[in-house]
Amino acid sequence: MKHNKKLFIFIEAVLAIIVISLAFIMLRENSSKDLRRVSVVVQGSDGRQWAAFRYGLEMAANDYGTEMVFANTSDNLTAEEEVEVIKREIQNGADAVIVQPVPGDGIEGMLREIDNKIPVMLAGCTASVNREESLLPVTEPDNYSMGRTLAEELLSDYNGNIEGKTLGIASENASQEAVINRMDGVLDVLEGEGAKVCWSVSGSLEETGENPLDKQQSVDIVVALDDRSLVTACSFSAANNLHGALVYGTGHSTEALYYLDTGIVECLVVPDEFNKGYKSLAEASKSAKYFFRKMSDQKISYKVIRRDELFLPQNQEILFTMNQ
Amino acid sequence: MINKYFKNIKQHGPKRMQSTIMMAFSIISVSVMLVLGVVVYIRFSASLRQEIIQSTQKLMEQTVENLEDYLVSMRRISDAVYYNVIKENDLSEKDNSIRQGMNLLYEANRDNLRSIAIYNNYGSLVAAEPVALQKEDPDVTRQDWYKKAIGKMENMHFSTPHIQNLFDDATLRYYWVISLSRAVELTDNGVPATGVLLVDMDYSSISRMMKQINKTNNGQYYYLCDSNGQIIFHMRQMQIRKGISSENSIEAAKYKDGVYDAEFEGKDRKLIVSTVSYTGWKLVGVIPDSTFTHGMFNIKYFIIMLILLMAMMLEVINRVVSVKISSPILKLNESVMEYEAGKKPEIYIGGSLEIRHLGYSIQRSYEQIDTLMNKIILEQNERRKSELDALQSQINPHFLYNALDSITWMIEGERNDDAVFMVSELAKLFRISLSKGRTIISIKDELQHAKSYMNIQKIRYKNSFLVTFDIDPAVYSYCIVKLVLQPILENAVNYGINSMDDCGEIKVTARIEDGKVIISVADNGTGMSEEEVGFLLSDSNNVHKHGSGVGLVNVNNRIQILFGSEYGLSVESEPDEGTTVYVCVPAVPYTGENSKNLEKGHMQQ
Repeated sequence: MKHNKKLFIFIEAVLAIIVISLAFIMLRENSSKDLRRVSVVVQGSDGRQWAAFRYGLEMAANDYGTEMVFANTSDNLTAEEEVEVIKREIQNGADAVIVQPVPGDGIEGMLREIDNKIPVMLAGCTASVNREESLLPVTEPDNYSMGRTLAEELLSDYNGNIEGKTLGIASENASQEAVINRMDGVLDVLEGEGAKVCWSVSGSLEETGENPLDKQQSVDIVVALDDRSLVTACSFSAANNLHGALVYGTGHSTEALYYLDTGIVECLVVPDEFNKGYKSLAEASKSAKYFFRKMSDQKISYKVIRRDELFLPQNQEILFTMNQ
Repeated sequence: MINKYFKNIKQHGPKRMQSTIMMAFSIISVSVMLVLGVVVYIRFSASLRQEIIQSTQKLMEQTVENLEDYLVSMRRISDAVYYNVIKENDLSEKDNSIRQGMNLLYEANRDNLRSIAIYNNYGSLVAAEPVALQKEDPDVTRQDWYKKAIGKMENMHFSTPHIQNLFDDATLRYYWVISLSRAVELTDNGVPATGVLLVDMDYSSISRMMKQINKTNNGQYYYLCDSNGQIIFHMRQMQIRKGISSENSIEAAKYKDGVYDAEFEGKDRKLIVSTVSYTGWKLVGVIPDSTFTHGMFNIKYFIIMLILLMAMMLEVINRVVSVKISSPILKLNESVMEYEAGKKPEIYIGGSLEIRHLGYSIQRSYEQIDTLMNKIILEQNERRKSELDALQSQINPHFLYNALDSITWMIEGERNDDAVFMVSELAKLFRISLSKGRTIISIKDELQHAKSYMNIQKIRYKNSFLVTFDIDPAVYSYCIVKLVLQPILENAVNYGINSMDDCGEIKVTARIEDGKVIISVADNGTGMSEEEVGFLLSDSNNVHKHGSGVGLVNVNNRIQILFGSEYGLSVESEPDEGTTVYVCVPAVPYTGENSKNLEKGHMQQ
């Protein structure tokens, strides 16, 4: 009799435990899923150059069930301000951050400190000038190869002979690792070709800036190593203020493509910004979801686009992503 | 393993009634619930699948209608431009009536339109709305929409989405459009010429419609492709183009309208295909299998929970019912078991009518058994008593004959004193022998009886042997069956020392050992072999014995009848050494009650 009673209580207890477990599972499934939140911090968040990048981020956020927040930042964001924005995003509940590092002293160290709290993925370039010293994962194209490709396209336009031609090199920030590598790539190809680099300027290149391009020495070719400097160079060229120099460069904004379309840019090397956004957010989402998962570097491709190729079906997708 | 299991079952023996009832109820109820659960689940699952498919179809029908409305409105715009503006006006007219007409239509539909443009057969722009700067060299003749319009002049042609490459937009933007192109007849200075009318629809209108229906987050999605499978809209359009994701739109484009089972990347899914009129575009609804299971997730768990809760409830009901049914039977069983164990409780009478009847029957049976048992015991006691009486009556004539023979012999020899002594001893002997008809007497009386007997024998045998009594006085007050020593002494005299000349000796001792009274009669006579000793207490008539052969056997039987088989006589003998006979009886104090109980035979019980 006692044995029966014990068995009865045991069966009832087991059934009750299973019912409670199932109810718990049901409630957990029904309750709204706690989305992982990934914040993205880039310089000048409203700039058109981020359109494709942002579209890639949004698509990856959809695919990985992540909430993506694109932090508002100014065009002249400093390293300290960037770190402040990141900290604010963490306070607001970010589980991971994607950062386009602004050049500045100690930015790598500051970002590493943040990386100890939540995963940090860099987008576009490393935080350290020296690629070897950078420990944070980065999603970027092969910048050196991009520089080389750009210079090779330039050479091919001149049938490999640019003897005596003068060059000016423009960039937004010459101390940025991506720009340095691109410049290395350009210079390595042009070395020994007889072309002369007359000037290399960086920083604010507008008319009112510290190094306005129209005030530079007249050259045959201007090579712009990033989107902003390319757009600035093109705007000078469109206004006939670049002393008739041909413009080559890298860019990823609709402005850059427009200048290519209108013949102001001779050749444009376009990094795959959509994939930069998609891959960096995918990696950050996985890392935010799985605590012990380490992020790794992600490589993205780039494309050489000429004016007559811009509207080929395979290139239209670039415009598509930039116009979302 | 199986053998071990069965062995285990066998070891446990038959199951209790309550367990059996509960187990049977539980198995039946669990089986019924499982079957019910599975049936309900299958029914729900099928119904949910059907519901999802039907709602998807309805949504798709609605979307196709919206798309068709949109496309029809574009066609109407194209028709209006062609028939009301182009056909009605000459290009050379200076009042800009063509542009005004186009402007009117553009302004009325600007939400869905990107531009309206007319090109001549050389690809030169004739008119455009909104007014915009044409690109330096767009070379429209190389663009798909133009080629299609010129290629099939009788048709209207919808292109797939593409970047508009016609005008120089000062905002530095590029527009994703769907072109509706058709060949038109232009009139320039009264001369008819072929041209192409282009209506560029804003892709965002279609995109909005598609995004609207793609808001579910259960894995279900919709995409739009043309008749060749080229994707017009897909939520993961760029991922597909970049190779991050994939879609079998080419396969889907081959399907006619309907619902299809398909397998893609190893996963089953349902495809619902609807064709959009005028364009041949296919609106494809994709329902992965996971959508159905996602929808069934809660129902599945709910059904399982319901089954478990019902199981818990049924378990309680089963227990209550089984206890209710088995309890009276168990109580009855327990009372019977207690009865069997020697206790004598009342037999349980309760529960249902049948069990009450059973209880009454068992109680009556036990009462009858008790009555019969008492009757049997009484009869046995009576029988034993009569047997005892018969045995005792065997002794008396035998001894009386010898004693009277001795007295006769004394009187004849004029030994009157001896004869008087003999007669008085004989009187004592018979007084104790009679003992008012009792079988149980005190050991003191029995020893007195033995002494009287030996005195008679000594006279008879002319004091040719010596008799000594070594008695522990403590034994006097215990019970014994009367006349047990006399036959032993008789044997000792007759067969032990009779043949010896004046040196025969009989020693009678009595003591208490371990709750038993041991009385021994030892002689130093001729003794017996071991075989003879073995036969001495045997009841068999085939064995040769001295005398009548009834003496010791009778004594032994009488003791054992009254006190039990563990008591009685034992004999030790050595040839030429002598014989010792031990009488062993329990040390029962000689009181009136004990004596009465022993008389009734209760000692053995």
